[in-house]
Amino acid sequence: MKKLAVALLALFILVGCGSGSGEAKQELRVFNWGEYIDESLITEFEKEFNVKVIYDKFESNEAMYTKLQDGSKYDILVPSDYMTQRMREEGLLQKVDYSKVPNYENVLPNLKGRHMDPTNEYTVPYFWGNVGILYNKNNVDVADLESQGWNILMNEKYKGKLYFYDSERDAFMIALKAHGYSMNTTDPAELEVAYNWLVDMRKTMDAIYVTDEVIDGMATGVKDMAVMYSGDANYVLSENPDMAFYSPAEGTNTWVDAMVIPANAPNPELAHTWMNYMIDAESSKAITEAIGYTSPIQSVIDDVTGPGGTYEGIASYVTRTGYAKDEEFFYDADMKVILSDYWQRIKATN
Amino acid sequence: MKKQRRFGGFFALGAMLLFFYGPILVMMIFSFNDSRSLTSWAGFSTQWYTKLFESRDMMDAVRNSVTIAILATLISTVVGTLTAIGISKHKPLVKKLFLAVNNFPVLNPEIVTAISLMLLFASVQVFEKGYITMLIAHITFCTPYVIMTVLPKLRSLDPSLADAAMDLGATPFKALTKVILPQLTPAIISGALIAFTMSFDDFVISYFVTGNGVSNISILVYTMSKRINPTINALSTIIVVIITIALVLINVVPLFVKKDKRKVVTE
Repeated sequence: MKKLAVALLALFILVGCGSGSGEAKQELRVFNWGEYIDESLITEFEKEFNVKVIYDKFESNEAMYTKLQDGSKYDILVPSDYMTQRMREEGLLQKVDYSKVPNYENVLPNLKGRHMDPTNEYTVPYFWGNVGILYNKNNVDVADLESQGWNILMNEKYKGKLYFYDSERDAFMIALKAHGYSMNTTDPAELEVAYNWLVDMRKTMDAIYVTDEVIDGMATGVKDMAVMYSGDANYVLSENPDMAFYSPAEGTNTWVDAMVIPANAPNPELAHTWMNYMIDAESSKAITEAIGYTSPIQSVIDDVTGPGGTYEGIASYVTRTGYAKDEEFFYDADMKVILSDYWQRIKATN
Repeated sequence: MKKQRRFGGFFALGAMLLFFYGPILVMMIFSFNDSRSLTSWAGFSTQWYTKLFESRDMMDAVRNSVTIAILATLISTVVGTLTAIGISKHKPLVKKLFLAVNNFPVLNPEIVTAISLMLLFASVQVFEKGYITMLIAHITFCTPYVIMTVLPKLRSLDPSLADAAMDLGATPFKALTKVILPQLTPAIISGALIAFTMSFDDFVISYFVTGNGVSNISILVYTMSKRINPTINALSTIIVVIITIALVLINVVPLFVKKDKRKVVTE
């Protein structure tokens, strides 16, 4: 009994020391996606600025948003565009002082002034990309892709050979774009057309609805076609040379995950330092090489796709620009309700 | 006829073992995979083990999982055992009432416990969410299991044991530690094992009550939504190996110890 008590005490002290050391140091609380950073950067940042970084991870924008509701405080968040827009509109973010983020001037101009942050006051881009079709060059005819665009997902020639992304937002984006509508439409008639298209696809194509399993499935060539984020495609392409990536000309979703500072951040000063550090060319290169998503800095893109770079010859890495029909996803609470309802019904059809 | 039946039995046993251990075996093999892929083999390498030990995140998660499991086990075992002993001396009505209350966290879906604990910690705000709140939550859901395993054993003990010990001059405390507790040891150990497993394994509750970058192994895996990387296989392999060694030791060592004792007696 005595031994037990001593052991217990010893453990408590051990644990206490482990978490209590370095109390005088400044703390920075970062909340980022899981597997979204080169971990050595955290340690380097801590050393360089003599601070402690508390690094937390989330697995979806919605989970992150919920976590903030229970009183958790963070200095840096990395939401996707529509969530950034929502948080900005709800007054949950504070403005960035760009004079403290000198590296911001290296960020690609087309990632600035977007719908999530039209006046460039709140965001510093972290990764960006779009959505497209990853296909097996040997089994899918490129001519079909080019002539049919998104509608190739309805081509019965490829029945039973495709993965579809299990997300209402991306599914409706595809269905709306396939009919030439805006993916941010609120027109009920257009949404219904998209809904019917998705139901038809569900009935006829025998597609498998997946999320992140798609990465491994395509890397090993289980199916011939998959709806995929360009960042995931980069990884698959580096593993499996039979695959190629195609973004339909009818337009697609271009997304940006950006760093933002919550309104109630305990240490905004240090948050600026972190932002600047993460979009430094060297850090951004390390992150993109470790994770595979596209860097927001042109010099890094040139570097990693250039001769000898990690992504040399990988077409999906350079996210296309200049397509008028490419859009970013807007946040609209009413539309989200409609889409969720539709999506549940689609998933229920056999 | 007889032979055939034996063959059928072997087949069933083999199929069952394959079903249990096949997945673990595949995972162990892929922890030595040279590529990032989880399903295609690209050659032998120990890179994921190196990465595992270099990863601060993972080592933190392992440390949290292990220390919390140990602390929660120790505390809940002590609390649970004492509660069980206390409750066994109460009136039947109190006992019944208490047992019903005790069963509540066991039968309650984990997610309900998780949400209620989250709300509690969010509204009370004595502790910042993190290590301490996670530990408290784990103690909370481990204790009922200890009580549940210790109580039946207590019921089978002779109620006059403590009285006899005290008649022979033991203080109540001595009667407890020298007489009652040794009798309960097997039940306490199995209670502690259940508590340890429950705590080590828990995801739902931990996920809701933690914060400030404190995560355990299951939370870490869950947040890897962008990419699952094979370091997890390496970590799981190590855990499987440690557990195998522990089980072998637990099962084999007593055989030798018993033999020695018998020798002493016969001499």
